[in-house]
Amino acid sequence: MKLVCLSWSHRDRVCAAREALASVPVERVLLELKTRGFSEAAAVSTCNRFELYVAGPSDQDLAATKLVSMLEELAEAELGRQAEIREDAAAVDHLFAVAAGLDSLVVGETEILGQVKTGYEKAMAAGMTGKRLNVLFQRALFVGKKVRTETALASGSLSVPSVAVQLAETIFGRLDGKCALILGAGAMSELAAKHLAAKGVSKLVVANRTWDRAYQLAARYQGEAVKWETFPAELERADVVICSTGAPSAVLTSDIVSAAVRRRGGRSLFLIDIAMPRDIEESVHKIDGVYLYRIEDLEAIVAKNMASRAEAVAAARRIVDAKSAEFVAWARSLSTGRELSLKHSEYRA
Amino acid sequence: MIKSLLSWSAFSLYSAASIAALYYLLTKNERSSRLMLTLIGCGLVLQFMAFGIHLAAFWAYPENRWFLPINNFFGALSYMSFALAGAFFTIEVRRHLGILGAFVLPMAALGLGLAVVLANPELAPLEPKLRSYWLNIHPMILMTAYATFTNAFGVALALLIQERQIKSRTPSELCYRLPSLDELDALNSRIIAITLPILVLGLVMGAVWSYQASGRAWSGNAKEVMSLVTVGFYAEFLWLRYVSGRRGRIPVYVSMAGFACILLTFFGAGVFSDSHDYLGGK
Repeated sequence: MKLVCLSWSHRDRVCAAREALASVPVERVLLELKTRGFSEAAAVSTCNRFELYVAGPSDQDLAATKLVSMLEELAEAELGRQAEIREDAAAVDHLFAVAAGLDSLVVGETEILGQVKTGYEKAMAAGMTGKRLNVLFQRALFVGKKVRTETALASGSLSVPSVAVQLAETIFGRLDGKCALILGAGAMSELAAKHLAAKGVSKLVVANRTWDRAYQLAARYQGEAVKWETFPAELERADVVICSTGAPSAVLTSDIVSAAVRRRGGRSLFLIDIAMPRDIEESVHKIDGVYLYRIEDLEAIVAKNMASRAEAVAAARRIVDAKSAEFVAWARSLSTGRELSLKHSEYRA
Repeated sequence: MIKSLLSWSAFSLYSAASIAALYYLLTKNERSSRLMLTLIGCGLVLQFMAFGIHLAAFWAYPENRWFLPINNFFGALSYMSFALAGAFFTIEVRRHLGILGAFVLPMAALGLGLAVVLANPELAPLEPKLRSYWLNIHPMILMTAYATFTNAFGVALALLIQERQIKSRTPSELCYRLPSLDELDALNSRIIAITLPILVLGLVMGAVWSYQASGRAWSGNAKEVMSLVTVGFYAEFLWLRYVSGRRGRIPVYVSMAGFACILLTFFGAGVFSDSHDYLGGK
């Protein structure tokens, strides 16, 4: 089996090639390859990656330069200089690493697996898959899933706002239908608001001493601005509270939170204090059903996740290497007439 | 012989399902979750078959005909482990909270293990005082309630671990694997809210049986008192949770105290009350 992979990814500093390729529909690329006599090809096109995989029997001429020229014609741009060319075992290893999220800008991100699947489905729809590519992509999807279930590659957020959102999910489950109260309208508050809004928080309430800034931040995320004096009353409906006010002393005291908890009907309250000096009294954390995290707590979790992510990358790499070697052995066995079983690595009768 | 073999096999399957559940808790390997569900399903089938054989042997005594064989320790524990595994199986199929298997299934395995190892499976004709249709109602309702409360205890255990994880501010990987606090709390509260009326119904049925048999609805023995204390703890839990809106550890501790009372009333039955001496296998 012969396999060629051409890729343009986030590693290129110049994104002109990726921009040009993004404008060419994958279906058009596959159609062009079909008319030129290729029978097995698939392309994965995302916002920061374009990959073309072309497979054929061992004796087929799959010159990478010809494929690059064809893409240059379609994209009407010069692509050759940024192209990364891999063949056979290296191409297999690369696809498995891509599906596992090891080649992503944010290592371990899960979106890429769906994008690889979409690329494979488009190739199937175009009638451009045969035994080699079918097995290759199915194995890639299997490896992607295996890495995510058997290693901690996809778990553990690596930024303070995403850790805060992840913790909110461990308390509330899904965040849609929940209400977030933002006290203070600084840059960190906005970042947290952005993450919460992206996770489907249904109501965002902003309170700030300067009304204009509260109004502007609320407007950006389709939220509601309220007068600063009313925030203790707002605690009753809020599920997540983010404090970043810059006040000289605590604005959320134990008394205010205790009074709010009594009116909340037993709902949990997640408080995040990212202000320095502190906005929330430490004693609040002792109240039943109230969970207070400070900026240093969130940073400590990020540091821990980073350390475990490094271990997970090594574990994921081991899986990719093993499965890649298995696939290459299977591909070689195709020409010997004694086809290996990928599942058990045994010869099939 | 076949009954014993089937019970041992079911015990082995529940134990294996518990190991698969623990492995799933630690690794979140979906294959072990599916294996756990398959093992429970097979265990339930085997236990049902064992029950069929046990029932046929029990009914071989003409005096026992149409009565259920849960008058002794073996029958009661076997039925409870069956109901416990069955209730978890239902929750898992409906809610896909397989991760809770690690907290619930070891108790099902332990229950059946105690039955096959310690209890005397020998059968005998029922005592005259037990030959009543109430035998098919009062203990059955209570054992079902006990099994469901055991499920709630497993959920409460997971809830307590999750609460401690989040309160610690240094949550481990386990924190992200367990269901959310709200989900666990809702499940625990719902199980208890549904099961408490069943427990009360079972106790009322017992009082009616006692009244019909001896002319007294209340004997005042320790088992009856403990049963009321159990009801009190679970009622207190529901009051804390739904009326006073308390969250966190206190309501969970109260529900666990209720479960401790259940263990005490069940395993201390022979000590507490002559009429509930199933520990002796009578």
